Amino acid sequence: MTVLWIVLAGFIVACAMGVVLSRSPIASALSLLVGFIGVAILYLALKAEFVAAVQVLVYAGGILVLYLFGIMLTDNEALRLTRQVQYQAWPVFILVLVLFLAMGHKLYHSDYTVQLPARVVLVSGDSQADAAQAALAAQAAAKSGTNTQQLASVMYGDYLYPFEAASVLLLVAALGAVFLAKKEV
Amino acid sequence: MSTAAFVILGFILFCLGLFGVMARRNFIVVLLSIELMFAAAGINFIVFSGIWHNLTGQVFTVFLIAVAAGEAAIGLGLLIALYRLKHSANVDDAHELKG
Repeated sequence: MTVLWIVLAGFIVACAMGVVLSRSPIASALSLLVGFIGVAILYLALKAEFVAAVQVLVYAGGILVLYLFGIMLTDNEALRLTRQVQYQAWPVFILVLVLFLAMGHKLYHSDYTVQLPARVVLVSGDSQADAAQAALAAQAAAKSGTNTQQLASVMYGDYLYPFEAASVLLLVAALGAVFLAKKEV
Repeated sequence: MSTAAFVILGFILFCLGLFGVMARRNFIVVLLSIELMFAAAGINFIVFSGIWHNLTGQVFTVFLIAVAAGEAAIGLGLLIALYRLKHSANVDDAHELKG
């Protein structure tokens, strides 16, 4: 089992290196696509089925196709013939390596067994009793059903307002993209 | 695989993304590197959601994907605007603010 985890992690890291190091942007985008499918498999193995499906459908299927369109619209011979990394690549590499070693050492030796309360309620109701009752109901709902049902009861319960805020964010982003890309600004 | 291994996997992805953002010239590859950093955050959310038996991490991963979609839309809008202005997707060509 451990071997499978290591193979999956190595696959994801190899794809990520392909994104950063490959010469042509289309190879970078396709490498990221394959890497995201690897990340989705990781999510699936960690029992997050819904997020794995969203990762494949939205990320790999939607966002990356958008990037491929961007590459198609801006492809240009001159850029392909220049060096693909900037003059500061080596200093940046050393900086990132130092960050990786220092922080990786810290992360490797950290203790991750901290116990949180079984369920953290972030939304405060009007009264304490209401909040407690809502939390109990949500907890009961979250214990039964599949991962998707549990996720829905949390997302449309505790996180309804953040969910609506996310939809407003997407609307603003779409309007902003149209404004930025139109002909006469 | 222990928790530390997952966290370090996420950190490797973050570092690769950071290197790509700072060192690559093509604007598209810079955006793709930012997506790598998003993926690192997502892996951390999912792993700790599993360890602490709390679905909040998975909810926030869904929000993260929504934010990534917004970032992609804005980034590509900027890319098209840059390309229209400079006929290039090279980030070095956008140097109007250079003193």
